[in-house]
Amino acid sequence: MESNTEYENPIPVKVITKKDLNKMVFRSLLLQASFNYERMQACGWLYGLIPGLKKIHKNKKDLSNAMTDHMEFFNTHPFLVTFIMGLILSMEESKQDRETIRAIKVATMGPLGGIGDALFWLTALPICVGIGASLAIQGNIAGPIVFLLLFNALHFSLQFGLMHYGYNTGVKAITTLKESTKKVAHAASIVGLCVVGGLIASYITLSTTVVITAGKAKVALQADVLDKIMPNMLPLGYAFLMYYLLKKGLSPIKLILITVIVGVGGHALHII
Amino acid sequence: MLISALLIALWAGIAGIDLFDGLTHIHRPIVTGLVVGLILGDMKTGLITGATLELVWMGMVPLAGAQPPNVVIGGIMGVAFAILGKLQPAAAVGLAVPFAVAVQGVITLIFTIFSPIMHKADKYAAAADTRGIEKINYLGMAFLFVFYFVIAFLPIYLGGSAAASIVSSIPIWLISGLKIAGAMMPAVGFAMLLKIMLKKEYIAFLIIGFILVTYGHLTILPVALVGTAFALYDFFASKNRGDGSSKKEVMSDGI
Repeated sequence: MESNTEYENPIPVKVITKKDLNKMVFRSLLLQASFNYERMQACGWLYGLIPGLKKIHKNKKDLSNAMTDHMEFFNTHPFLVTFIMGLILSMEESKQDRETIRAIKVATMGPLGGIGDALFWLTALPICVGIGASLAIQGNIAGPIVFLLLFNALHFSLQFGLMHYGYNTGVKAITTLKESTKKVAHAASIVGLCVVGGLIASYITLSTTVVITAGKAKVALQADVLDKIMPNMLPLGYAFLMYYLLKKGLSPIKLILITVIVGVGGHALHII
Repeated sequence: MLISALLIALWAGIAGIDLFDGLTHIHRPIVTGLVVGLILGDMKTGLITGATLELVWMGMVPLAGAQPPNVVIGGIMGVAFAILGKLQPAAAVGLAVPFAVAVQGVITLIFTIFSPIMHKADKYAAAADTRGIEKINYLGMAFLFVFYFVIAFLPIYLGGSAAASIVSSIPIWLISGLKIAGAMMPAVGFAMLLKIMLKKEYIAFLIIGFILVTYGHLTILPVALVGTAFALYDFFASKNRGDGSSKKEVMSDGI
C-alpha cells in the first residue's frame, strides 16, 4: 500500500516569514476553540497552522494530506504549543516524511503538556493571582490590574519567543534530519509510543464500584482485585478495546456513542 | 435589572471564551469581581468577593484535561449573589460552587457533543478546505459564548433560588454518568493514534510508557525522557552497525 509520505511536490521551500510566525501565534490562541474529548485540541491546532500550511503546500493534494495528518489527536499546554508549531512548520517547509512530522509532534506534545501544567497552572498562576488577590481583598482596584499585567507579560513573551525558537531549532536541525529520515522517524516513534503508553495510564479514567459480598466478607473489585493485579487495567483494556473495534472497521463516531452508553449505562447500573 | 443581567451575561460569554481560548485570564474571579462589581454599582464588594473566590479556585486548574468546577460561572454567580443578596463573601462562595459544579458537568457534555463534529472536520481536511476548518472553530467559540450568556443571564434575571431548583432537577446519575463517559473518551483518540503508529517493533515502548506511569507514578516528561534514552541508543547503535539505511521498512498498516 502506498504510504502518504510522498509529496506531489517534494521540493523544499523557505516561505515562512517572521510576520507569518507572529500571525500564527495569535491564531494559536484559538487552540481549544473546538475542544472535544475525542481529538482534544486537534482542530484548533490545525486552525493555528493553516496560514503556514497554505503557503508551504501550493499543491492541493499535499495540503489535504498535511491537514488530514494534523486533524489527528493532539493535546498539549496552550502556552507552549507555539514551540511545537514552529518546529512542525520548519519540517513542513522542508517536506519531511509525513510519518516523521507526526512522530515529532506526538513526542513533543506530551512532555510540553506536563511542563506547562507545572509551570503555569501550579506555579505562575498562583503567584500572579496571589499578588493580585492580596490587593483586591482590601478592595484595591490595582489587584486585578496587577494580576493581568503580570500574567500576560509572561504569557505572551513566552508564546512569541517559543514560536520563533521552535522554528529556528527546526530549521537548524533539518540537514541532520534529512540525512537519516527513516532513523529519525524510528527514534521519534519510540519516544512517541512511550508517551502514548503513559498517556493511556494518566488520561483515561475508568474504575468499577462493584463490591462482591461473600458471606460476611466484602471484596471491592477495584481496590482488592483489579488494583492488585495491575492498576489502570481498565483504562488500558478500554483503550485496546477501542483500538480493536477501530481495526475491525467501526467508525470513531460509533466508538464515542458506545463510550457514552457504557459510561451512563454502567453508572446507572452501579457498575462504574 | 434587565440591563445589568444582560451586561453580566455578555461578560460571562467573553470570559467563557477566554477560559479556553485567548487565556488572557480575564475570566478569573479576581477580574470578574471588578467587572461585575462595576456593573452592579458596588466595586468594593465585587473586588473583595472576587479575591475570596480566587483563593478558593486557585488550585482548581485544568490539569491534564480534567475539568475543575467552572471558574467563570462560579466567579460571576458568587460576586453577583454577594452584591445582590448582600451576602458575606464566604456565603457567596457556598452558593457559587454548586452552580460551578453543574456547569462543569454540562461542559463535559459539550466536549462530548463536539467529538462527532471532528469527522466533519476530517472531511474538510481531506478536501483541503481551510475555510471549513476555520468555521468549525468559530462555531465552537460562538457555541460557548451563547452557552455562558444564557447560563449567567437566567439565574441573575430570575433570582438565585429559582435557578438553584432548576439545577437540582437534573438527575445526578445522568450528570455523573456523562462525566464518567467523558473521562473514558480519550481512549478513542489514543486508539486512533495507535492505529496509525503502532507497529510490532514499537509495542515494547508502549508497555514501558504505561508501566512507568502506572507503577512508577511518573509524569509524562520523565516518560518521554526514558523513551528518548531508548531512542538515542537505538539511533546510534543502528548507525554503528550501519544497517539503518539499508533496511527497507515495510509499511504494515499504511493509510
